[in-house]
Amino acid sequence: MAASINGVLEQTLQKSINSCKLLVVGAGGIGCELIKNLVLTGFHDVELIDLDTIDVSNLNRQFLFRKEHVGKSKAEVAKESALKFNPNANIVAYHDSIMGPEYGVDFFKRFALVMNALDNRAARNHVNRMCLAADIPLIESGTAGYLGQVTVIKKGLTECYECQPKPTQKSFPGCTIRNTPSEPIHCIVWAKHLFNQLFGEDDPDQDVSPDTEDPEAAGDAGEVALQSEAKESVAGGVARKSTRMWAQQSGYEPEKIFNKMFRDDIRYLLSMENLWKKRKAPLPLEWNNLPNTAQDGDHSAQLGGIRDQRVWSICECASVFAESLKLCKDQLMNSGDCGTLVWDKDDEPALNFVTSAANLRAHIFHIPLKSKFDVKSMAGNIIPAIATTNAIIAGLLVMEGLKILSGNIDKCKTVYLNRQPNPRKKLLVPCVLDKPNPKCYVCSEKPEVTVRLNTTTMTVHTLEEKIIKGSLGMVAPDVEIDDGKGTILISSEEGETEGNMGKILSEFGIRNGSRLKCDDFLQVYNLNINILHVEKLKEDKEFEVIGDIAELQAQASADNTGPDTNSQEDDDDDDDLIMEDEPTEITTPSRKRKANGASDADLSTKKLKRSIDANCQEDEDIVVL
Amino acid sequence: MESGPAEKSKKYDRQLRLWGDHGQAALESAKVCLVNATATGTEILKNIILPGIGSFTIVDAHKVSGEDIGNNFFLEKDTIGKSRAQVATELLLELNEDVNGDFIEETVDNLLRNNSGFFQNFHMVIVTDLPERTLVTLAAQLWESDTPLLVCRSYGLIGYMRMVLKEHTVVESHPDNAIEDLRLDHPFRTLTEYCNAQNMAEMTKKEHSHTPWLVIIYKFLEDWKKHNGEMPRNYKEKSKLKEMIREGILKNQDLVPEDEENFDEAIRNVNSTLVPTKSKPFWILARAVKEFVQNEGQGRLPVRGSIPDMTADSERYIQLQNIYKEQALQDIAIVTNYVHQLLQTLGRPQDNISDSDIKTFCKNASFLQLIRCRSLAQEYDPATANHADIAMHLEDTDDDDLVFYILLRAVDRFYSQYSKYPGCYGDSMEADIPKLKACVSKLLQDWGITQNVKDDYVHEFCRYGASELHSVAAYMGGVAAQEVIKVITHQFIPINNTYIYNAMKQSSITVQM
Ligand SMILES: [Zn+2]
Repeated sequence: MAASINGVLEQTLQKSINSCKLLVVGAGGIGCELIKNLVLTGFHDVELIDLDTIDVSNLNRQFLFRKEHVGKSKAEVAKESALKFNPNANIVAYHDSIMGPEYGVDFFKRFALVMNALDNRAARNHVNRMCLAADIPLIESGTAGYLGQVTVIKKGLTECYECQPKPTQKSFPGCTIRNTPSEPIHCIVWAKHLFNQLFGEDDPDQDVSPDTEDPEAAGDAGEVALQSEAKESVAGGVARKSTRMWAQQSGYEPEKIFNKMFRDDIRYLLSMENLWKKRKAPLPLEWNNLPNTAQDGDHSAQLGGIRDQRVWSICECASVFAESLKLCKDQLMNSGDCGTLVWDKDDEPALNFVTSAANLRAHIFHIPLKSKFDVKSMAGNIIPAIATTNAIIAGLLVMEGLKILSGNIDKCKTVYLNRQPNPRKKLLVPCVLDKPNPKCYVCSEKPEVTVRLNTTTMTVHTLEEKIIKGSLGMVAPDVEIDDGKGTILISSEEGETEGNMGKILSEFGIRNGSRLKCDDFLQVYNLNINILHVEKLKEDKEFEVIGDIAELQAQASADNTGPDTNSQEDDDDDDDLIMEDEPTEITTPSRKRKANGASDADLSTKKLKRSIDANCQEDEDIVVL
Repeated sequence: MESGPAEKSKKYDRQLRLWGDHGQAALESAKVCLVNATATGTEILKNIILPGIGSFTIVDAHKVSGEDIGNNFFLEKDTIGKSRAQVATELLLELNEDVNGDFIEETVDNLLRNNSGFFQNFHMVIVTDLPERTLVTLAAQLWESDTPLLVCRSYGLIGYMRMVLKEHTVVESHPDNAIEDLRLDHPFRTLTEYCNAQNMAEMTKKEHSHTPWLVIIYKFLEDWKKHNGEMPRNYKEKSKLKEMIREGILKNQDLVPEDEENFDEAIRNVNSTLVPTKSKPFWILARAVKEFVQNEGQGRLPVRGSIPDMTADSERYIQLQNIYKEQALQDIAIVTNYVHQLLQTLGRPQDNISDSDIKTFCKNASFLQLIRCRSLAQEYDPATANHADIAMHLEDTDDDDLVFYILLRAVDRFYSQYSKYPGCYGDSMEADIPKLKACVSKLLQDWGITQNVKDDYVHEFCRYGASELHSVAAYMGGVAAQEVIKVITHQFIPINNTYIYNAMKQSSITVQM
């Protein structure tokens, strides 16, 4: 068959294909396919950015990479591979984070079109804002297993990436994790916290020791004295020091850490008798006296390449625990003075550590044990990925791009890929693009958002890291209090407001009804934050972001409580903690390793198309992504 | 150099989570054949080589042309004039060191003539860009030997795929919304005993609100049956049962109902749990399951053995889980017995069917699938063609993608007559339009269809000039490779039998031709 695109594509379109400049963000699963498709469609001028390096688990689909490339820059290698095919193409590769200050609005303005092939929400949010600021059309894409989606974003014309709120991550009550786990996932979350406590960044929300304020345990007053006593003696006063300090002082001695975590802390939990009246009490483990558990006789273990699917015995868990502890310690030592490790599901010692610790804890609490393969899935929030889905989505991406370049952006669609043809026999479901949400706190005329929090306990640091950067997606915010005096709360200039960080919001006069003016110069984005003071939030959340103030008022009157009452507290006063996964690990790009890696997809970008709007050509089986 | 098991499981980690190690093993032992290393063909191969197909063979007598290198990633510029089969094989092999590949520089016609058993050696044959006459001959032979065939092409802005499976069985169909297998309509003994031992009247508030909904529905169903004899059948009766359950929610001193999530779950699950337990049978395993159904199962399939998540204390949740698990194991043991008996009668060793296969089969007993596609011969013979459906689609709306099926068949007819595709050479465009129109009319006439195809489509197809756009080829490469994997792993339900993609509208349809 003939190959030429003459005739099939109109002359003017061919011209713009030959001359326009494109930006591809992400050189992972979709990115590799996309770069190949672009070069073979005749695009000559492509810039490519990705922060990630190549991992073995990429090779089953990211076909521009080979075994010998493992560890190298995805962007660089993808560029080389594509150039081999068309040496005349002008491809620029950046091994960098798209969220860096070098890639401002002027950078984005150089392109006719931006194509996202990303795997995380933070980078997607950021590119969304940059494209809105630069007024450049953006094609967004994602895959998860057999499912996929492509959509087009254009300022003023369509919904932006953040027009609809995204569901938040699943969370578990703190006491369940620390005191009374009942499912394997509880033990896995605990083990990841233990990893972070020992090797990672300190996060008080990830405490792994018994929670003495468990309301269930605190029931009988007589215990309280015993508890505080026990805390001193059994837990060795560890609660006072960080687990990290204690581990360092004990030289990361496996036996000591094992006996503290799996014997002493469990004994301590046993002393909280109320917890065990209705539950089967945990059984502490002793390093020198491990039970002989029969191994699960799963025969699939003999099949090649899948020995990770066998469940380990307790003795095996203990020896893997000791071994991986040592390896992680070595990694930590090698990382320099105040170095920390970031938990990575593809890092062998880190995964072994979590698998063994989670299973030891599961055994103690009579919870079924899990294989390393399963733990990896559950702990790593692994999104299955295959070549076929990426190929399909990248093909669709280019077709949408061609529509934009031929001036037919109004004909663009959001296209959902189903796992199999739906009852109406459609594998693809194209939907008309939605109009912008007039109340969107990103793309509306006057972006505004309301945040509920306790102004008498929250620090400026938490406000900046967790709310303004973490939840609201800014990267370099300047924050001013709208108090008529123009008090600067946070400055993007290094060191300028360092002194404010540890202070409480109320010290600056921030109270119920206060208004903060935020400005992110990189994203060219201004946002007003209305503060609603609450004493305590449902499920002990630290804060709550409410996009639509009208919605909030309706809700408040329904609750029959004013927004500033302190009766918002839920019956269930467990403290919730977010189960972290990749997307939250990258919310603070300045500190974390990954920012715009592009392995495949971001399940949490799931946009629930709950109410199917009239625009859709289909009324069922819409893939959510 | 092949990679070791540990590295393999790392490399394939993200896909093992979709089809499991047994699916991977099936893939790694499969041999496929690709006819013609077109862009569409090599894209399909790429997508099955990356996940680790066992081996591939490319059959292609063409030499690499200038047009080829413009749209095919696996043919480089300096290879013009060389064997297309060879060049593509070499480049494709670089994708995965665990895959074997070879090539034959030969036409399909010659192979069919001189080496008649050749194509039957493969688990699947994938065909691109083959003239109709040769395709029909090849398809007939593959149909005879029960070898799966996949035909795929990218033509301008249209993609086409045809699956030809004489008989294909699927054990793990991975249904999208499976109804749970809970047997509340026919509770087995241990389940009855367990539920009867639960005394909701004497429970504390916490116990009451953490009683699994399974138990709640069981209790209220028993109540219902006492009064009405039978299970609730229609909407009205089911609503009544839901009302009864709602009444069962604990009330506080002020007679306001408590917040009991498990009762809400019970009410939500009434409809799906009352779907009667049904069965669907097949082969040695199917026969064994049939024996089970007729005897021990008293007309019902083996219990699947899993329960969904529900609000419950872990103690009772685990107890219930075990009750279902135990029952499933018992049922599997009985089926295993039948399997062994059958194997013995057939004079085959007992390990002919593994325990894990029996287990998987029993667990999927209600999702088993048998797919029988129509043959290509049936489709291409005007007497047995599916003209009723074609007419219906033409009638349906003016923009139905099925029209592209007719045009693809018409360009093939054009090729048979003129040995080239319409509009292939710029200057012939005008002359080709009426010729292609005639082919379309002739086809419709053969099928006895009176409606016609709009001229716009004929013009557009002439404009395509049989060109293969890379993005369309890449898209079809993804879709087709996914179907190949489904067939080889016997997981998920393959498309039956024709798929058409319209890149202008980003729409697609599936039809049975
Ligand atoms: Zn928006």
